[in-house]
Amino acid sequence: MDRGTDGQVVARVLRGDVEEYGILVARYRDRYARYALHMLGNREDAEEALQDAFTRAYRSLVRCADPERFGAWLFRILVNRCRTAGARRARRGRTFVSDEVALLEAAEDHPSEQSAWREEIDRALARLRPEQREAFLLKYVEDLGYDEMSRLTGVGVSALKMRVMRACERLRELLEDVHHLREEHEVNDATRS
Amino acid sequence: MMRHDPERAIERAAAELRRPVRFGSAFDERVMAEVRGLPRHRLGAWRRLLRPRTITVSPLFSGLAAALLFAAAISTGHAIGTAGSDTASGAEALATAVTPSKGPHDVQFVLVAPTARKVSVVGDFNDWDSAHQAYQAEHRGGGVWSVTASVPVGHHRYSFVVDDSVWVTDPTAPRVIDDDYGRPNSALVVGETGR
Repeated sequence: MDRGTDGQVVARVLRGDVEEYGILVARYRDRYARYALHMLGNREDAEEALQDAFTRAYRSLVRCADPERFGAWLFRILVNRCRTAGARRARRGRTFVSDEVALLEAAEDHPSEQSAWREEIDRALARLRPEQREAFLLKYVEDLGYDEMSRLTGVGVSALKMRVMRACERLRELLEDVHHLREEHEVNDATRS
Repeated sequence: MMRHDPERAIERAAAELRRPVRFGSAFDERVMAEVRGLPRHRLGAWRRLLRPRTITVSPLFSGLAAALLFAAAISTGHAIGTAGSDTASGAEALATAVTPSKGPHDVQFVLVAPTARKVSVVGDFNDWDSAHQAYQAEHRGGGVWSVTASVPVGHHRYSFVVDDSVWVTDPTAPRVIDDDYGRPNSALVVGETGR
């Protein structure tokens, strides 16, 4: 369903065609679901944050300075919604849980080991400080450059580099054993076949 | 026992995390149901060209700006800080003025804009809706526009919108960067008892 560029769709929504906004929702829903899910650690909170971001973007659409870059603008809103949701959850004392659906999908691909590996990754991510998790996901998963990350988060490049470095150090510590075991299993599997 | 590369653990974790995540069409329906309940945008072609955008006034032009614009948020709520406050000091002032609270208070917003044909107030208290009837300023003569409107107790961000096209920060209030959209706005703190 390609109904034109973001700028063209935004223009139609601003003329009053609210249904056209569905094009933007479908276009960016899965792309940003991944970030929200990994940042917040469970599907319910992630869906709520992303829905909130879409709703806020609609309300303020007239303030989107460059409609052709609606996606980047929406992502900025989402990053902030995830920060707010994370802080709210921290106040409530809610625990970070694994993404059950991803675990099930992983388990279907490669039964127990894959899902155990995935669970370890989720658990390790959850143990990062939120600002480190944010920087790691933007850099390694969303594949953004530091300048873009800086524009998005309002944090300086050097501070972001430090956060990514600390996140990687911590993840290496947390994943070392399980990754080591996983590699050995893979070598054994390859030898057997 | 094989040797392993610690960096590879990071790469493999990132690869796992890059797997697609799908929320599905039911999510779209929920978003659209909420969006359909919101006020519809009605911006014609001409108004799109002139749609609201934020302008900021640099110190170089502050004298000229002062001659053209003078704004204040007064009454039971009050803006904190002074004209020209930077973002950092504004944020600091906000942080020190936390006042937990109950009901809303009337706040008078005043803008001197001699050439304006229409002035409205937008903020987080009215969903940034420049068409919100309760926040349309009236011309009081001499280029002075004002409106008294209800604002909940707490910290708020707001701007004036002149002629549906130009966003004007309040020169008498601290400027704060809007977290979501990266634009400067003005800060307003409405206390529990007013002043």
